[in-house]
Amino acid sequence: MLDQAFEALKTFDFGTPLSDVEAIDDAALAAHEDAEVRKDLEQRLIAALGLGISRDAKDYVCRKLALVGSAAAVPALTSLLSSAENSHLARHALERIPGPEAADALASAATNLSGKLQVGAIGSLGVRGETKAVGTLTSLLKERDAMVVRAAALSLGLIGGNESAEALQTAMKSSSADNNAVIDGLLSCAESLLSQKKTTEAAAIYTSLSGNEQPRLVRLAATRGLLTCAEV
Amino acid sequence: MKTQQLTCFLMSVALCVVPSSARADGEKLVTQIVNLLSNPDREFRAAALEAVRSSAKGTSQTQTFAAELPKLDAEAQAALIAALGDRGDVAARPAILEQLAGSKNEAVRAAALAALGEIGSLSDLPALVNALGSVSNAEQQAAETALVRMRDVWVAKTIVTDLRTAPPEVRSKLIEILAVRRATSEIPAIIAATTDTDSSVRAAAMNALGLIGKPEQLAAMLPGVLMASRGGERDNAERNVAEVCERIENENERGDALIAALDTVDAGKRDELMPLAGRVGGQRLIRFVADIASSSDASRRTFGIDALSKWPDAGPADTLLEIANNTKDATERRQAFHAFVKVCASRDNRNDQQRLDRMKQAMKESRNADEKTAVINRTRTAYDVESMRFVRPWLDQPEFCQIACETIVELAHHRQVRDPNKEEFDAVLDQVIKLAKNEELVERANRYKRGETWERKK
Repeated sequence: MLDQAFEALKTFDFGTPLSDVEAIDDAALAAHEDAEVRKDLEQRLIAALGLGISRDAKDYVCRKLALVGSAAAVPALTSLLSSAENSHLARHALERIPGPEAADALASAATNLSGKLQVGAIGSLGVRGETKAVGTLTSLLKERDAMVVRAAALSLGLIGGNESAEALQTAMKSSSADNNAVIDGLLSCAESLLSQKKTTEAAAIYTSLSGNEQPRLVRLAATRGLLTCAEV
Repeated sequence: MKTQQLTCFLMSVALCVVPSSARADGEKLVTQIVNLLSNPDREFRAAALEAVRSSAKGTSQTQTFAAELPKLDAEAQAALIAALGDRGDVAARPAILEQLAGSKNEAVRAAALAALGEIGSLSDLPALVNALGSVSNAEQQAAETALVRMRDVWVAKTIVTDLRTAPPEVRSKLIEILAVRRATSEIPAIIAATTDTDSSVRAAAMNALGLIGKPEQLAAMLPGVLMASRGGERDNAERNVAEVCERIENENERGDALIAALDTVDAGKRDELMPLAGRVGGQRLIRFVADIASSSDASRRTFGIDALSKWPDAGPADTLLEIANNTKDATERRQAFHAFVKVCASRDNRNDQQRLDRMKQAMKESRNADEKTAVINRTRTAYDVESMRFVRPWLDQPEFCQIACETIVELAHHRQVRDPNKEEFDAVLDQVIKLAKNEELVERANRYKRGETWERKK
């Protein structure tokens, strides 16, 4: 059945009934409880990516690799990061594959790619909460491309922690940074610090955002944050 | 010795430092909240109010917040009172009572009354009961909410005491409150109120029993039904008795319970309660009422037929037709036949074809124009194209033309009947447009032809 499904994958395209590849879905479910099945399925999926299959078939494979992929799948997925058609689903998989290989691939893409593909890779680092990428993201805050700066600031916010907060505080002082994105990032950082009960650090961020020079809604968010800090 | 002294010193330092730091944090929070309470921006105030509701716990903190009340404008006062109520600390009660007594602002007073529902005590009940009779709707509403929400077990008992002395409009509200509180222990007082001299109190008592009454109280509710004025109040009272009956799951047991309750009523007044049987329904009660509807006493028969006409389903249809066909009295014939057509048309568990079959039977049994008109009129409840085909020929008879127009338009109102037979309906609606004298009917017919809907006027 699985062989037939992979055979069907070769001609799979938009509109093809999903029932043709249902055996792959079943195998992906079974892989959760069986390492051998997982490994075998991952290898078959990686191989499929090299067969010149359609865009939709590649997307399908990426979705499955997000479930069963490991470091072994990273090279195949990385090769898709520069493809406008497939990078989204490749990132979807890389965001979920544990281990430094996937993180490194995304960090490399975040500095080497350009335009929306680069922004996507930066965002994926944030989704992964990749603390090792804070340095890379911090340097991206100085880029000229506003989209890149914004994505980096938001990702730093998602990653959270003192280091991210410091980078964002510094960026806020520089006139070149997109302040709204930096503020969003800082508020996210403060929230993550609060959730870790690091109220002093969180309060410092909120205090820095509660001045009259800040927009009303930012001051309001900071005020609410400060009240929560005092409460914790 | 020195080590011991050092240990003691360190311990005392630790004991002092930790609480004072916590206290400093707490004070900081309270200060922040207090500062925000007077912020001109309502969203900043809202942040502070949220904190009043859920953080900075402690009596002294509550008192600090409450002490801010006199410094605020009315809008902020009302909001803070509500937040203090939600905070649930009775330490705020004196300050809130002060606002209730001193403020001339309706919103502030209403907020204070509502807050007493959370942090008030029995001694606040007179003020709350008094506010039920206030000229301000907001204050009435707030007092009602507070009296519903107050948790003290003695609240219901105190309300019952007030029931004896309060003015009628307050009495009816107190009864509503007892019902919402589901104060089943106070049902005797509510039952007593069903025969109050004031109709609004009686109605409130019957409604309350409809909500929390038990089948054991059915007999006690009947004097209230008899006391209710005919029309809306009587209908309401009967409906509430039926509600209580509905709490008995088994149909026969339900009928038996009502019959047992009716047996407790003076025989001379029992027939007046027959419509109740109609509201409750069931085979057991059909037999019970049918005996009355076919008794030798004409006035009893009227009550019986009236009761059968109110049946919730077509159960007594054959009984009514039999009465209609056997009576020699024209008025009784009319009453029974109309009741027969009414129950046949009821939208009960039967399907539309069964309803239409009954209408066809009624038409065969009809003896005059009045009865035929009733049948044509009620056929509108059988949502079927066959109903339209049944009524259509009457368009040709001037005497029945207008009622037939009405019924056809009503049937066309139902898209599921009209759309699958559009051509046929369009043709008959064209006839209606030509014949109907009522402009609204013509407009509706045109709309349905265009596939549009029509919103029934309320």
